[in-house]
Amino acid sequence: MKTKRIAEDTNQTHTLASLKPGISEKSLQPSSLYIHIPFCLRKCAYCDFFSVPYDESFAYAYTNALCKELYLKRASADRLKTVYLGGGTPSLLPDSCFNRIFSCLKNNFHFTRDAEISVEANPGTLTQSKVELLVSLGVNRMSLGIQSLSDSELKILGRIHTADDAIRSLDMMRISGLRNVSIDLMYGIPGQSLDSWHETIVRSVEYLPKHISAYELTLEEGTRLYNEIKNPPSFLKGGKERFLDEFKIPHEDIILDMYDQTIDHLQRSGYTQYEISNFAQSGFRCLHNLNYWERGEYIGAGAGAHSFLQGKRSVNVKDIHDYIERLNSNQQPERESTMIPPAEILKEFLFLGLRVTEGICITDAKNLGLDIVSAVGELVQAGYLAVDNDSVRFTRKGIVLSNSIYIRIFEKLGL
Amino acid sequence: MPVHKRVYIIYDRIKVLFTMKNIRNFSIIAHIDHGKSTLADRLLEYTGALSEREMTAQVLDSMDLERERGITIKAHAVRLKYTAENGKTYILNLIDTPGHVDFSYEVSRSLASCEGALLVVDASQGVEAQTLANAYHALEHNLEIVPVINKIDLPSADPEATKNQIEDTIGIDCSDAILTSAKEGTGTLEILEAIVNRIPPPGGNDAKPLKALLFDSWFDNFQGVIVLVRVFDGKIGAGTRIQLMSSGKCFEVSQVGIFSPKMESMHELSSGDVGYVIAGIKQVTDTKIGDTITNADNPAQEPCPGYKDIKPLVFCGLYPTQSHQYENLRDALNKLRLNDSSFIYEPETSLALGFGFRCGFLGLLHMEIIKERLEREFDLSLLSTAPTVVYRVTQTNQDISYIENPALLPERYEKIEEPFVLVTIFVPSDFVGPILDLCQEKRGIQKSFAYIGKDRLKIEYELPLNEILWDFYDRLKSLSRGYASMDYDFIGYRESHLIKLHILLNGEVVDALSLIVHADKAYYKGRELTEKLRELIPRQMFEVVIQAAMGNKIIARESVRALRKDVIAKCYGGDITRKRKLLEKQREGKKRMKQFGKVELPQEAFLAVLKVK
Repeated sequence: MKTKRIAEDTNQTHTLASLKPGISEKSLQPSSLYIHIPFCLRKCAYCDFFSVPYDESFAYAYTNALCKELYLKRASADRLKTVYLGGGTPSLLPDSCFNRIFSCLKNNFHFTRDAEISVEANPGTLTQSKVELLVSLGVNRMSLGIQSLSDSELKILGRIHTADDAIRSLDMMRISGLRNVSIDLMYGIPGQSLDSWHETIVRSVEYLPKHISAYELTLEEGTRLYNEIKNPPSFLKGGKERFLDEFKIPHEDIILDMYDQTIDHLQRSGYTQYEISNFAQSGFRCLHNLNYWERGEYIGAGAGAHSFLQGKRSVNVKDIHDYIERLNSNQQPERESTMIPPAEILKEFLFLGLRVTEGICITDAKNLGLDIVSAVGELVQAGYLAVDNDSVRFTRKGIVLSNSIYIRIFEKLGL
Repeated sequence: MPVHKRVYIIYDRIKVLFTMKNIRNFSIIAHIDHGKSTLADRLLEYTGALSEREMTAQVLDSMDLERERGITIKAHAVRLKYTAENGKTYILNLIDTPGHVDFSYEVSRSLASCEGALLVVDASQGVEAQTLANAYHALEHNLEIVPVINKIDLPSADPEATKNQIEDTIGIDCSDAILTSAKEGTGTLEILEAIVNRIPPPGGNDAKPLKALLFDSWFDNFQGVIVLVRVFDGKIGAGTRIQLMSSGKCFEVSQVGIFSPKMESMHELSSGDVGYVIAGIKQVTDTKIGDTITNADNPAQEPCPGYKDIKPLVFCGLYPTQSHQYENLRDALNKLRLNDSSFIYEPETSLALGFGFRCGFLGLLHMEIIKERLEREFDLSLLSTAPTVVYRVTQTNQDISYIENPALLPERYEKIEEPFVLVTIFVPSDFVGPILDLCQEKRGIQKSFAYIGKDRLKIEYELPLNEILWDFYDRLKSLSRGYASMDYDFIGYRESHLIKLHILLNGEVVDALSLIVHADKAYYKGRELTEKLRELIPRQMFEVVIQAAMGNKIIARESVRALRKDVIAKCYGGDITRKRKLLEKQREGKKRMKQFGKVELPQEAFLAVLKVK
């Protein structure tokens, strides 16, 4: 890629200085960029991420505003190590929009030589030519929202595609020569059995993705699925019990079995779990997401995108019209911005850092003034956490109770 | 004898002759919400005691809480001047009475200070339980009762039927009952005339030794304790050395006077008068309602009849939610106690709840009011244990002790007795079935069952006080769609087959959850309670076993499964703040829990026992 203007090897491990609160972090500029593409063909039943129905002319206006925001923020970034186009469904954008976004990136930002450039895509919105275009623009990682290889489960989730669509999309990526393919899978779907989940993992692995995210379905308040499950539609009157029975979220014990099965099967197939819900073959961890968990700073662009800059967490306006309008009048689209106070910095350090299976570094904690080893003594004894060398990390017993354990740790540390 | 002293004597004789005839001491009695306070306002307004501008609605209910709940908690006395149609000017002392059953003793003392009472009945509701209870109190004191049919402006008013009900149930003649609408101010003049013409003037003799009935008292930051008295015989003025007959304590009077309703000091109060006395009394506990004040140098032979040292009937433990608020709670209780001698408290320590206080109240409403005032006026966050009655326990050595905390019931005893009350219920006949079932369920014994008019019933049951402590009144109201009314009277202790039920969490007794129950209900209560607790106790990182036990015998068991999954699956896209807030919310929820050993108990758990029928 000719955009990699600086040929130095920048593939260093993330400096721990970026974790430290205070002045030191101000001198460092973020090397991660998130771009939000808020369009979807249709909202999935479980999704509470921000998105609106796709409209082509709208997409152009949005791309325009987005490029303006990127331009305004060009000076706040260091050489970028990761760029992530998430959504919504970024793969919906017309080719010309992608062309504009990437030329804008190239003109305004510097990249490390092996920067990770990811784009999220959904089956049913990809064509071979689009994949080729993305690869030619410098995209070297794609994350495909497969969720399930059972059509009936996909239907319950309100996905617009079938299992075959997903497989065709994977083929397109293989043909285009893209190596770093990630897939998203979901368990705990209403009506899902342990067997059908098992089948989804086994079959997915056969397509040899480098990276797999396996999320438990979270019923978020306000989503369609949440409402359907909490208040089944009235036309089901007679058959309500049957409906509830068929579409019941699997029992907690089954979900835990699904999780265990995921870890075991993926481990056997050569994937290492490196975060609560993320698995990768060696060398294919998602650098962009690791940056979030390491409390690294990042720039967010696009409607509803979050940024973390100079110790402040901020979010852009969500309303797309509002977003476009602000940028047309050369205003920054931030809606609110909060300086994270010291105690919260420590909490973030703990709960984000412990998500990663390698855990947090005891020396880092000490540098932040936390005596983590004595704080977790009881929890280690009870088998929820493990301490070795210079790290504290969750055990498999602890990881599924992580929220309760964070709170225990906060209490112990007086946070 | 010096001249000026003789003049005084003559003056006093004239005053006796003149004023005794022109004084009327009366109360207004009514069921709750039948319009007592509004009527009092009208009388104050009409007699010019207060200008309209000075009137905030319902002057006599001075505490906010009283006004909000529409009930009168403390009695007050106001002197009104009224020039009657016969041209003479009269002094009318309106003695307000508390309107709730918990304060029936205070009501009876206020009534003992009067010669007459206005019996106010809502023309749309008719006679209710407290109408009857109050009317009986008045009859006991031989008061002249003037029936007043109020709210005749309401479309649903039926004055004739109301009159008939009064005649049928109370047996007083209603042919000259006064029809009023206190809200609109009609009938006020008729009432004032009736007070003058139908209520007799007070008797008594100024020359006799002082005998004054103490019917209310409160603490004032500047003046110390102020007591309200009705003088029956003799006189009292500044300089009088008085003695309280129940305790023998003596004080010197610094000031006497009346409320008009503003405080006005007077030269003296003599027989027949109602007014206040200030005598350098420091503690309101020294001024027991119903006590007799006499002249220490020339004491009366007999006190006024009817004095009782009333004791709280209902107890509960009050604990600060956060232990650092203990001192604040103590100070607050101390302040409330200054003005309310019927409420008592003492420090208590619970294994589960830490340091707190065991508090005693006259009844449930009294308890509610105190709790609400503590939270509202003193900004305290409180945790209260289930209310309990006082049990009388005869120990194996025949000693008698009173147990007001179930946790303290000894393992062995000779017998245990519980307080019983006579409950009087008025209910439209349509709803009588479920109400009889309710009384039955609560271990009631029916004492009477009678029709009042065509379609209403008066039912009397003897019930253990314990059984009506919590939801009885609410259920009575809901079973009758709000139409039933009730009143109760303590009738004494009776032996019952009672046992202590323990609750154990992971094998350890939680003292604050112990309760005393009737043996017949123990299994049922144990099952229900453990089940309720299972619903209320959130899942924790280990299994929580909940057991109910009688002595060493486990009679019910439930368990709260260990928490197995508590994890945020997705944490990407940069919205870290939301995840952090999620954890904070969880953390806050945890802070509100009380730690018992390793188990965390939500506050609701301590009230679970109340939710068991």
